[in-house]
Amino acid sequence: MKDIFTEIWATARRNKLRTALTGFSVAWGIFMLIFLLGAGNGLINAQLQSSDRFLTNSMMVFGGWTSKPYDGLKEGRKISLNEKDMTSTGCLFADNVDNVGASLSQYGVTMSFGNQYVNPDLAGVYPNHFEINKRELLYGRFINNIDIRERRKVLVVNKDHAKELMPKGYARLVGRHVNINGTAYKVVGIYKPDKSMQDNETFTPFTTIKTIYGMGDEVGDIEFSFHGLVTEQQNKDFEDRYRTKLNTNHRAAPDDNSAVWLWNRYMDNIQMNTGIGIIRTALWIVGLFTLLSGIVGVSNIMLITVKERTREFGIRKAIGATPWSILRLIIVESVIITTIFGYAGMLCGIAANEYMDATIGHEKVDTGMFEATIFANPTVGLDVCIEATLVMIAAGTIAGLIPARKAARIRPIEALRAE
Amino acid sequence: MESVLTLRDVNKTYHGAQPLHVLKGINLDICRGEFVSIMGSSGSGKSTLLNILGILDNYDSGEYRLGGQLIWNLSERRAAEYRNRMIGFIFQSFNLISFKTAVENVELPLFYQGVSRRKRHQMAMEYLDRLGLAQWAGHYPNELSGGQKQRVAIARALITQPQIILADEPTGALDSRTSVEVMQLLKQLNEEQGITIVVVTHESGVANETNKIVHIKDGLIGSIEENNDHHASPFGMGGVMK
Repeated sequence: MKDIFTEIWATARRNKLRTALTGFSVAWGIFMLIFLLGAGNGLINAQLQSSDRFLTNSMMVFGGWTSKPYDGLKEGRKISLNEKDMTSTGCLFADNVDNVGASLSQYGVTMSFGNQYVNPDLAGVYPNHFEINKRELLYGRFINNIDIRERRKVLVVNKDHAKELMPKGYARLVGRHVNINGTAYKVVGIYKPDKSMQDNETFTPFTTIKTIYGMGDEVGDIEFSFHGLVTEQQNKDFEDRYRTKLNTNHRAAPDDNSAVWLWNRYMDNIQMNTGIGIIRTALWIVGLFTLLSGIVGVSNIMLITVKERTREFGIRKAIGATPWSILRLIIVESVIITTIFGYAGMLCGIAANEYMDATIGHEKVDTGMFEATIFANPTVGLDVCIEATLVMIAAGTIAGLIPARKAARIRPIEALRAE
Repeated sequence: MESVLTLRDVNKTYHGAQPLHVLKGINLDICRGEFVSIMGSSGSGKSTLLNILGILDNYDSGEYRLGGQLIWNLSERRAAEYRNRMIGFIFQSFNLISFKTAVENVELPLFYQGVSRRKRHQMAMEYLDRLGLAQWAGHYPNELSGGQKQRVAIARALITQPQIILADEPTGALDSRTSVEVMQLLKQLNEEQGITIVVVTHESGVANETNKIVHIKDGLIGSIEENNDHHASPFGMGGVMK
């Protein structure tokens, strides 16, 4: 093998410029492939990060407006979800539904502590709300089942609000009492606000808010986590059954899609994964086509080289080179040129990705109300590098194949005659 | 004496626009240790004969045995192997590989035999030394004179210890003084080491240096002449021939 390398080194050195130009086209191809995949990963990762804010197998249900006349009632009727809907969810769909919760809000209350005050939205929730929406607790605890049962006047406060109320050492707010519209609540926890959405909520037990604000039968939005729904079809079937049941509760047409709104995060996830798959494939295709022009370049140059070296191959064959040994020489040469320059391109691509990661990878678009990440970790993994290496070896072989066959077919008499 | 090369009624036709019957039944025996020249004018079929002898081309009918081995219908791989092991080529234009040094050129046939790097380098140096080129081992062909190049080529032909050395116009590209040297060298190899050498030439001066001259004319062997009195030739006397 070492002999082959020495031979190839000798030929590559004879045509420095040509080798370099050929190599550049391959390097450029691989560079584009890696760079595109890295950039694509950046977009995908950012998307994944934002979808990661919710528990995947969870669903939210909102009341809407009917769009069809049904059962003697006109369309355009507002539907508010109520206790019966919650019971239906928990009992009739117990096969799939884990815990049913609800979220009922009182918007723009005034929360004060001493001289300081803020205006959060007060949301009455069940313990599962924190799990479904992946809330991160900084101090204290979340709302628990005892709070629900005893209708305790307790609060879980947003960190920003806690800071407003108690600028020095906001953590000490836990255990203190704050005042909301004349009622004293005890702060039991402080959570980390999510910058990617408007986060202005202060949480209190669902039962508490219902009692204090006298909201009757209304439950706001229903939210629950589920299990056993794996395929798209299963999810769709479940949604249909569920919608029919809720619509029936409100005397809306069973197939009315706007009476209640379902937000199934699992379906979102399935669709997003499909989307991500498509983006990845598209990037690979673009990258591979860029690389293809490099391969054609290598093949072209190798053909010229073979033509130039006809006599040499004739001599080699006359003194005992088998066709196979000539074939191997050319293919290995092609693979080596492709791989060496391909690696250079790959390193440049990785460097470009790292640069991108270091700059716009950490940038967030701040709209004032929420922050969005467009690029997150725009790099490629080791798996892609290995795949790209395999691609390069395959590419080199393909590029060398035609010239190598041509070289192996050279007949020594003709080659020796050619002068 | 043992025959190393036997041709029996060998025919060869080139199928072009007009079929050309080049060899019309060649019968030839060359024994081990002989120094033979095949002489003929251009178009006599001597190049075709050389190609067949060198297993570079096929023949249509007849029988060609090299070292007792029938050469017929060989695959490219087998042909390459036989060329490598049984034949040493010396060409008119040397045919050294320009980007390889003298010693690397000499090593090449052993490379195709799969001889280890160290062993073949050692052997190549030995052969170069024998031909007085040891100090030129690291030079590239374009740094060598014509005579030196031909001697490198001879070393390359000898290194596999072939059954036979085929020399195609070995002096064709050399001046007369170097031609004499090269012919002397071949003669010496034949005499001292008993190497079988076949020289193909159209020059009577070159043919005169050999011990047996086979005249080929119009695809047939004309006459075979024993030639033991080399001094009769003007070539031998200061090389005025050419």
